Amino acid sequence: MNLLPRQRSIAARLTWMNFLVSGIALMLVYVSLLAYNLYSFRESAIESLSSEAQIIGANSGSAITFDDPSSAETALSALSHSNDVVAAAIYTQGGVKFAQYPANGTVNLEPRPLPNAETLAYWGSGADVVIGSRIVLQGKPIGTVYLSAHLQAMRRRALRYSAIAGATLALCLGVAMLVGSVFRRILAQPLVAFAQTARLVSRYRDYSLRFTPGQSYDELSSLTEAFNEMLSEIQQRDKALETAKAELELRVEERTAQLQAANRELEAFSYTVAHDLRGPLQTISNVCFLIQATEQGEPSEERSSMLEQLRSSVTSMSHMINDLLDLSRSTSAPLHRKPVDLSHMASSILESLSETTPNRHVETIIEPKCQVNADPGLMQIVLQNLLRNSWKFTGRRDVARIEFGCTHRGKASVFFVRDNGAGFDQGYADRLFKPFQRLHASSEFPGIGIGLATVRRILTRHGGSVWAEGEIDAGATFFFTLDSFTSPLVEPSMSGPHRL
Amino acid sequence: MQRVSLTSRMILLMLASLVGAAQPPNELTPYDVQAAYLNNFGKFIQWPPDPASSTEPISIRILGQDYFGKKLDNLIADETIQGRRIVARRLASATDSDNCHILFIGLSEEAHLREDLAALQKKPILTVSALPGFLDRGGMIQFVLQNKRVRFAVNLPAAEKTGIALSSELLKVAVYVNPASAQGDKE
Repeated sequence: MNLLPRQRSIAARLTWMNFLVSGIALMLVYVSLLAYNLYSFRESAIESLSSEAQIIGANSGSAITFDDPSSAETALSALSHSNDVVAAAIYTQGGVKFAQYPANGTVNLEPRPLPNAETLAYWGSGADVVIGSRIVLQGKPIGTVYLSAHLQAMRRRALRYSAIAGATLALCLGVAMLVGSVFRRILAQPLVAFAQTARLVSRYRDYSLRFTPGQSYDELSSLTEAFNEMLSEIQQRDKALETAKAELELRVEERTAQLQAANRELEAFSYTVAHDLRGPLQTISNVCFLIQATEQGEPSEERSSMLEQLRSSVTSMSHMINDLLDLSRSTSAPLHRKPVDLSHMASSILESLSETTPNRHVETIIEPKCQVNADPGLMQIVLQNLLRNSWKFTGRRDVARIEFGCTHRGKASVFFVRDNGAGFDQGYADRLFKPFQRLHASSEFPGIGIGLATVRRILTRHGGSVWAEGEIDAGATFFFTLDSFTSPLVEPSMSGPHRL
Repeated sequence: MQRVSLTSRMILLMLASLVGAAQPPNELTPYDVQAAYLNNFGKFIQWPPDPASSTEPISIRILGQDYFGKKLDNLIADETIQGRRIVARRLASATDSDNCHILFIGLSEEAHLREDLAALQKKPILTVSALPGFLDRGGMIQFVLQNKRVRFAVNLPAAEKTGIALSSELLKVAVYVNPASAQGDKE
């Protein structure tokens, strides 16, 4: 049995302990009292039996002296009043049985030698006692009386004591339970309430709760005091944190607003600039055309080369302005999502590209029916930029190949534009998407380096991302998603060597 | 030798051991038993107080034919009664009974019994005899044979008349106490 139950409440344990302690104490008292009582009872019983034996001895002196066993048996028959005496016998000094009790029974009571100087002795243990008393007449021993007794009263006494002890033990249990209930009220209940408060605090994170103990000034009250102090400390810190957080948020908001305002101003400025630049450029272009048209006679080769150069520069500048306007629009224009067939869009862009440079042979592979839900205008800019890039960087290939398709990574659709063009150093992959950063000399491949930056902005606004994989002279692949999917392979904004 | 009952032999054995005499038990006769009893009576008797002779030995005297002989002397040699030694003497006449405590009257005195008892009148002397009708004639203790064992009868009024107190212990083991009914197996 488990002496101290582990899974019970403190009150139950206290009750149990109470009962155990008082029970043990009671048992000890019971055992010692019983032992003492039985011992003293036995002593007094032996004493009274001894005096009985002595009286019988005194009454049997003449019987022995004058050889009258019947007289001795009469003396012995007085023992019939004693409940305890089982048998008795008188032996002569010579060790011969002279008389016995009960007179007709078969008494097996062997004479035992008494210690020399003693006139009285007893043997036996527990409830069975044999008493020997010397019969002395005129100073001379003439025989011995032996009484064999079974002290029944001892057993009765032990039983009665056990009954009393049992009743007291039961009473003790009752008292222990009573005390236990008192303990429950004054000790366990506050503890339970305390634990409940602690649980509430931890569950609802409500540090304004307080535990209010009863009118006691003990360990528990100091514990709850400490607990409450801790709570107020936490509450204070919580409040301070809250304030700091709110302050921080406010500041962030302010800064964001300032930044947004500055951005908007910048965008508006660049848009205005780009837009306003188109007017004069158009004029220059027109004047160039007029000069060529109004030329009389065969123009000199030098003049016509200069005019051609001028017109080319104007075209290039017009592209740049368009790109700048795209970039500006990519951030400022509102998103209007609707289903868009990217495959269709890609093929029409590639068609128009092949029209502008009919002398190039480009193999195009387009996966059909790549559908997305996005802003069509912005997606047009994305694909235009990516495909134009591929067109541009495959310019030196005899057999150029441009591929548009869609793969799946997890649940997300990942679109890609792949070419076998000049490629790039994977180590600089992150620089591709930063405005005005170029990996190739503009003499080699024309451009001002804002196309991919525009692409990234548009995709970011759609909640997607873009990244690139490439190798110098082995082509490049641009991946993009429109969902909030981030490539596990390449973080677009991450610097450092690419890991594949 | 007569057959003696087992109990008698036992008690005689005991008596023999009491006196320390080296007597084989089969030599015990009723006389031996009587001798022992004669000696033992004193232990249960209270004589009237006599300051003059309170330290004197208890005197057992035998009147008439002495059956006991040396055996009685051997028996009493180590015995004391109330701290007093015991002496045994043979008398020629009942009149010579000064300082006598116990008087045994032999069978040979039958003819003179009346005179003997008359001579002892009122004297605190315990009279013992095996003579038939001894109690009826004023004797105090008479030996009788009962179931071949030596027993005795008591004439209590006769003893009390002389101031001798017989203890109840003694009366308890007596076969008869009433003198009128003092009878027994005739020898």
